[in-house]
Amino acid sequence: MKEFLLGKLSLRALPHEWFTIGATVSFLLLALIVIVAITRLKRWKWLWNEWLTSVDPKKIGIMYFLVGGFMLLRGGLDAIMIWLQQALSSGSSQGYLSADHFQQIFTAHGNIMVFFVAMALIFGLINYIVPLQIGARDLASPFLNTLGFWLFVAGVIMVNIFFMVGGEYAATGWLAVAPLSGTEFSPGVGVDYWIWSLQISGIGTTLGALNFIMTILKMRAPGMTLWKMPLFTWGSLCSMIMAVTVFPLLTATLFLMFLDRNFGAHFFTTTLGGNAMMYTNLIWMWGHPEVYILMLPSFGAFSEIVQTFSRKAIASYKSNVLGMIGVSAFALSVWLHHFFTMGAGANVNAFFGLMTMIIAIPTSVLVFTWIATMYKGRIRFATPMLWFMGFIGTFAIGGIAGVLLAVPPVDFQLHNSLFLVAHFHTMVIGGVLFGIFAGLSYWFPKIAGFRLNERIGKYAFWCWLSGFIMAFTPLYVLGIMGATRRLDHYDASTGYQPFFIMSLIGGIVIMIGVALQIVQIIASFIQKRHLLDITGDPWGGRSLEWATPSIPPPYNFTVIPTVSSRDAYLDLKSLGLLKHDYEDIHMPRSTASGIYISAFAFLAGFGFVWHINWLAVLSIIAIIVCVIMRTFNENTEYTITAAEVEKLETDRIKKLLPAPAGNNEDMGLREFVGIVIVWGLNVIRTKPWRTH
Amino acid sequence: MSKTSHHLPDHPKGDHGTMHSYIIGFLLSLLFTAIPYYLVVSKSVTGTALLATILGIAVLQMAIQIFFFLHLGRGPKPLYNVVFFVSTVGIILVVVLGSIFIMDNLQYNMTGAEVNKYLAQKEGISQLGGEKTGACQGTNANHKVTLKSGKVSPLHTEARLCDTITFINEDDMVREITFGQHPKHDAYSGNNDLLVRKGRGKTITLNQPGTYKFHDHLNPDIAGDFTVIP
Amino acid sequence: MAHALAESHEEAANDRVMFGFWVYLMTDLLMFAVLFAVYAVLQGNTLGGPTGRDLFSLPLVLAETLILLTSSFTCGIGMIAARAGNKNQVLTWFGITFTLGLMFLGLELYEFAELIHEGHTITTNAFFSSFFTLVGTHGLHIISGLLWMAITLIYVLKRGLNKHMVRKLTLLSLFWHFLDIVWIFIFTIVYLRAFV
Repeated sequence: MKEFLLGKLSLRALPHEWFTIGATVSFLLLALIVIVAITRLKRWKWLWNEWLTSVDPKKIGIMYFLVGGFMLLRGGLDAIMIWLQQALSSGSSQGYLSADHFQQIFTAHGNIMVFFVAMALIFGLINYIVPLQIGARDLASPFLNTLGFWLFVAGVIMVNIFFMVGGEYAATGWLAVAPLSGTEFSPGVGVDYWIWSLQISGIGTTLGALNFIMTILKMRAPGMTLWKMPLFTWGSLCSMIMAVTVFPLLTATLFLMFLDRNFGAHFFTTTLGGNAMMYTNLIWMWGHPEVYILMLPSFGAFSEIVQTFSRKAIASYKSNVLGMIGVSAFALSVWLHHFFTMGAGANVNAFFGLMTMIIAIPTSVLVFTWIATMYKGRIRFATPMLWFMGFIGTFAIGGIAGVLLAVPPVDFQLHNSLFLVAHFHTMVIGGVLFGIFAGLSYWFPKIAGFRLNERIGKYAFWCWLSGFIMAFTPLYVLGIMGATRRLDHYDASTGYQPFFIMSLIGGIVIMIGVALQIVQIIASFIQKRHLLDITGDPWGGRSLEWATPSIPPPYNFTVIPTVSSRDAYLDLKSLGLLKHDYEDIHMPRSTASGIYISAFAFLAGFGFVWHINWLAVLSIIAIIVCVIMRTFNENTEYTITAAEVEKLETDRIKKLLPAPAGNNEDMGLREFVGIVIVWGLNVIRTKPWRTH
Repeated sequence: MSKTSHHLPDHPKGDHGTMHSYIIGFLLSLLFTAIPYYLVVSKSVTGTALLATILGIAVLQMAIQIFFFLHLGRGPKPLYNVVFFVSTVGIILVVVLGSIFIMDNLQYNMTGAEVNKYLAQKEGISQLGGEKTGACQGTNANHKVTLKSGKVSPLHTEARLCDTITFINEDDMVREITFGQHPKHDAYSGNNDLLVRKGRGKTITLNQPGTYKFHDHLNPDIAGDFTVIP
Repeated sequence: MAHALAESHEEAANDRVMFGFWVYLMTDLLMFAVLFAVYAVLQGNTLGGPTGRDLFSLPLVLAETLILLTSSFTCGIGMIAARAGNKNQVLTWFGITFTLGLMFLGLELYEFAELIHEGHTITTNAFFSSFFTLVGTHGLHIISGLLWMAITLIYVLKRGLNKHMVRKLTLLSLFWHFLDIVWIFIFTIVYLRAFV
């Protein structure tokens, strides 16, 4: 009876190791603080109505940023633990982590960074910026948008809840290759948590990608043909078409692994006809395009930034677009380069090696268009442009390393070595992450209504760049010296330790950079009045998002503009065509169905993890019921009349604060520290918690 | 604009089916179901030709249903539906055919059976699933072949199946023993080359009968052979 | 003027939904592609046990195919009725489609039951794992389609045939036709191929 009710759950699943207890306590404390704060401020209703059930892509975008940012910290913590272990465990020292724990950490690190940080921040940017850039009020399906976000959150919870229930995560590497991930070699619940966190958020991603495609293809402002779209929108379109293509492959593969583990099937097992190599084949068919999915929106963001800060249109719009399309088109022809050593014949290896090298060509086209744009431009090195400069250097080096790895004989030496680890971190940090940071600092004024502190932003950038170089150059060297990846201990005679120590120092510098970014945000809030963006166009932008006020109203535009050229906003500005007409606006209602469906999805996944079959079945039935209720609901929109729009607009203009007088500089670090100390002393003196 | 009095959604013009198209689609599909069925059952065509034919007819029937039932291509421009459908078909081909081809090609250097045999030999596993693997169960005599001052002694070795042979290097330089006639670099029983340092030896089990040449790939004049008698 | 604007707003929304659903169907096709790929690679791994040739009954499969094909046809006729606004015809033709779908499902469940009765399950070997998964996933889609059909028909019965219902029926018919197309390939690659 107990087995029927609770499946594999028992008291043993509760935390009983130092790290599970520590993590559980931290999470619970954090949750407690948040709950108490919201209750004290009496903001539950506001939170539910204005944010959690909102279908506004701007709000959903911000929520993606918050969750993604939080997971960046979690993933970064994993990274520090890895750095520490590898720096310490040479020769007779075993470090401070057990081998099994170390394996879980690097697995979680990879999963979190790819799925729950990079994808999240990218989805946030696309959600917020693309509708503004194409002159739309919302995405094609507001319901799918909120559903996609909450499914993502369900995945986030799933990848964190193992601390509290179960105590183990997959110890198989971020892609959980078979047969290590089968029940024979991973009998615990770790891999099951892995499967369901990815499966649930993966479905959210597929639905989100579908939504973005529908929006970009069908909801552009009149006059905006495909060849007039801004480049960030192009990057997003290419990325999302790839996403909608390959995430179903991941869904199917995870489903097959689920059948292997839960139903005893033999797809990837070592016995009874299973073929574990098929898993590697399938998972990389998804895995390789995934990295391009992450890259293309970053490329698009860089295109925007280079144009704005060189005060020049992109050198060749068509080349840039064709470059992005080229990368997407070739993305599905290279996946075997992840397993050159798995036994394919020389011809097949050569083919995929060649295709991998060919992908460097459209990528280079992009780099050349950016550089050509800068040539004879009037360049301003604001923080977004700095991130771009950092990207260009590191991405080029990482790319060259990649072309080196694309040569099969070289790969036979360097496969799964630290050289590979350095290569992909260069691409993901130098490419994707720098792009996200660039995009976030570029569009921050639009999103928050005030720009970010430039001084501290520059310090943060230099910490990131130098820290990154210090952390990953040793890894390139180590890889060539023969060090494999995922090493939790090595012989002292290998001579690796100095390099690992240098890498750790680089990691610490990166962490300082992250801290500075947090300081930057806080300092910007403190100096908000001084940093306000009144005009909606703080940088002198070229595309439509800058035609809206910062922060844009829920309906984005009072009237959808008609577009006649590529730099839509620039032309509207110069021709003085920015009108202020009013018309009726149809808006979608907020809905909680996204939250409910995702909650049941989480419960279903949890049921599958712990073999609590009744929970899984009932949750699936509940999902079906929710979906039916939502799709048969014919009352999903409301209308803002033209008169109401006019009133909203005049109210907004009245509330605009006047431009700050005087010439305040952006505050520096010393000033910030001073402010924090003064505030801290004040809090201790007045003890505000007592006066409630 | 629609002139009907019903308030039905205006479908993009031309997107509808008529009775006509459904009937034609249905009859053609029936035909293209019956033909491959008949071909397979009557065995009038066989082998690869049959496989190609039924696959081709399946694609044809899919096209018929796509056109006559799903009305693809008859909507308003831009024809995104068609673009997405065609590219999906392409990707399906890459996924399916790519997987089949790659999974088969992974056996290019060594088939699964050969892998099993090699492992069984190495680990001395004599039976697998009730069948003998032919692996050596324990080894018998050991034969030494010494390489010194450019000479191989003995030049010819005769051994029985499941004996072992040890190549001993008593020279100053490292030797790379490989099999076959130089410049060939053959393998014997999975051993491609044996790097033997000064003063050391490398041993292999003689589990393949026949006569085999060996040589030092770095100094091909140093060569010899051995015969394995079952 | 407002009426025309509202209508074009509706038309645009309809167009978006159709397109979005079409893209969703493409993702579903891609998931099936993986299952087909796995079947193609693993179907030979019977470990000396019985193969498809020994176990499949072609006449049964032919019956299934003809039933599903006919249901796709009747679904199409139902759609003509829906666009003409004819509620009774809609209920009739979709009712027939539903019945045929149930018959298909029944035959398939019978086939599975027979195999399991003889001791061949998803855990037997890789061939059966891939067979049951590929054909079973198609069956799950059929069940979803039937459930969707039943609920929509109930709503049509109660709320009448308004534009929302016609849109739902259109999406449903897209889904149903697509399931028949996937079946063509299962019929060919799983069943017919076993006898080649």
